[in-house]
Amino acid sequence: MALSEHDVRAIAEYARIGLDDEELREMTAYMNDAVALLQPIVDFDPEGVEPTFHPIGDLSDVMRDDVEKPGLDLESALENAHATDDRFFRVPSILGGGGLS
Amino acid sequence: MSCFDALSAAEIARGVAAGDFSAEEVARASLDAIAARDGEIHALLQVSEELALSRARELDEARAKGEALPPLAGVPLSVKDNMNLIGSRTTCGSRMLEDYESPYTATCVQRMIDAGCLPMGKANMDEFAFGSSTETSYFGKTANPWDTERVPGGSSGGSAASVASGEVTLSLGSDTGGSIRQPAAFCGVVGLKPTYGAVSRYGIVAFGSSLDQVGPFGRRVEDVAMAMNALMGPGADPMDSTSQECPVDFLEHLEDGVEGLKVGLVPALSEAEGISDEVRAAVRAAAKALEDQGAEILEVALPHIDDSIAAYYVIGPCEAFSNLARFDGVRYGYQEPGCATLAEQSEKSRAKGFGAEAKRRQMLGAYLLSSGVYDRYYYKAQQARTLITRSYAKAFERADVLLFPSAPRTAFKFGEISSPTEMYLSDMFTISSNIAGNGSISVPVGPGPESGMPLAVQLQGPAFKDRRLLTFARAIERAFEAEGSVAPACAGKGGEL
Repeated sequence: MALSEHDVRAIAEYARIGLDDEELREMTAYMNDAVALLQPIVDFDPEGVEPTFHPIGDLSDVMRDDVEKPGLDLESALENAHATDDRFFRVPSILGGGGLS
Repeated sequence: MSCFDALSAAEIARGVAAGDFSAEEVARASLDAIAARDGEIHALLQVSEELALSRARELDEARAKGEALPPLAGVPLSVKDNMNLIGSRTTCGSRMLEDYESPYTATCVQRMIDAGCLPMGKANMDEFAFGSSTETSYFGKTANPWDTERVPGGSSGGSAASVASGEVTLSLGSDTGGSIRQPAAFCGVVGLKPTYGAVSRYGIVAFGSSLDQVGPFGRRVEDVAMAMNALMGPGADPMDSTSQECPVDFLEHLEDGVEGLKVGLVPALSEAEGISDEVRAAVRAAAKALEDQGAEILEVALPHIDDSIAAYYVIGPCEAFSNLARFDGVRYGYQEPGCATLAEQSEKSRAKGFGAEAKRRQMLGAYLLSSGVYDRYYYKAQQARTLITRSYAKAFERADVLLFPSAPRTAFKFGEISSPTEMYLSDMFTISSNIAGNGSISVPVGPGPESGMPLAVQLQGPAFKDRRLLTFARAIERAFEAEGSVAPACAGKGGEL
């Protein structure tokens, strides 16, 4: 099933990647080429085969001792942000209608 | 006086320890070589002169006090620019992270520095490691030191080129689908992708979390073995839950030879369509060289290996979409000014911060993970991974290592492959070991008689048998006398020691 520009626009919105009209055309062509390359997976009949989500099959949760340790300090954590306020990241309004909140 | 690029890592460390030259002199020789060579090659995005000189002076002071020096004392190192190093930016070759200052240092980088390496700079790469030619970096292309009209491979193209040009002795790269081995092959250097979990990934910008692995580049197998000792010697990293304990000395069996060991050839791969005659001949010559040294050559099958590319281009983009969701312009990264809402800021920051291939991979991942599509692709790709892993396990019951091409052909020209999906096929021989997680290495076998460009072969081994790979790689290196080769146009240019 070919993906339309309408479909690809919806995926871009979900992925939060703005595309202009030309990019949308190119992306739609790419998506259809890429999905065609993946056809062997659709045709693949793996009935009864367990999936492997991780190459180290028997890896279990690794927990360290519950001991307080220093983490990334506040200054380092904020140094790459464009807008901060005291100990916080500043962002535009979530619903609109306001400035930085 | 001679150029430092003629020395192995061990020779540099011995020279520093013996006082034949100081670590600072080596650092200045490397800086000089970078100044003389990198204008044309553009392997490095940043040269960390102060960090390198400061580490060199520490080593020289330690020697002056009579302290024992670490095994890689004074060895110049570059690291791929997806690895954090305090005092440098970590850009991932992307506008998104153009100004990103490393808030801490990656474990792998720290371990190399602790072992005595001098951090000379950050190496260029395909944006966020999405690519096989280093053409997608926001900061410009890297040229192949053997022919500057050709690509160095990718995504760790800057790492491979910095070693092949002799600007540094060692480099670290990361390999998600061939990003160490393919550029190593294109640039004529040794590149090892260790077993998944062998080397800590703490401090590396993630691409595909079930596929990514860090590994070293060098011009000699011995240099790569020394780097592996530095990376794994200190044991598992508590900061990375995939990091495994693997206490082996990678130098111990390097010269053991391969007599009585078994090498598996996979005819379906070695004779596959699309492989150049030179590459086909190189694999046959490597098999003959190993046979001449007493190894037994046999044919093995790898059923389901043909599904690797499709499985990879499902799993990789899905994991990439998940990992790159963090780049929203709030905590770090490019931020579009003047947006009215958080959603608008996120969408516009990602639109302008990411390049075309980074957008394509994330879009594909977003689609494949969407409701109704997931079961047809993602889940089945993970089932294919089970069968590919079983194929390897069966092959390794008969063979100690498998011998493949590293890439279907030698380095191609800039712009020669313009279709993204065609570019994906250049990783046809490397992807399967990321899917299964086992270790693999690309070893140069000298320049091709027709192309004049470096040729290489790939060895793959069972999980956590990476030391065995190095023994085989050393046997090939010995046969082809390929060790230590610097790209002819660069060798000896600057870098007097």
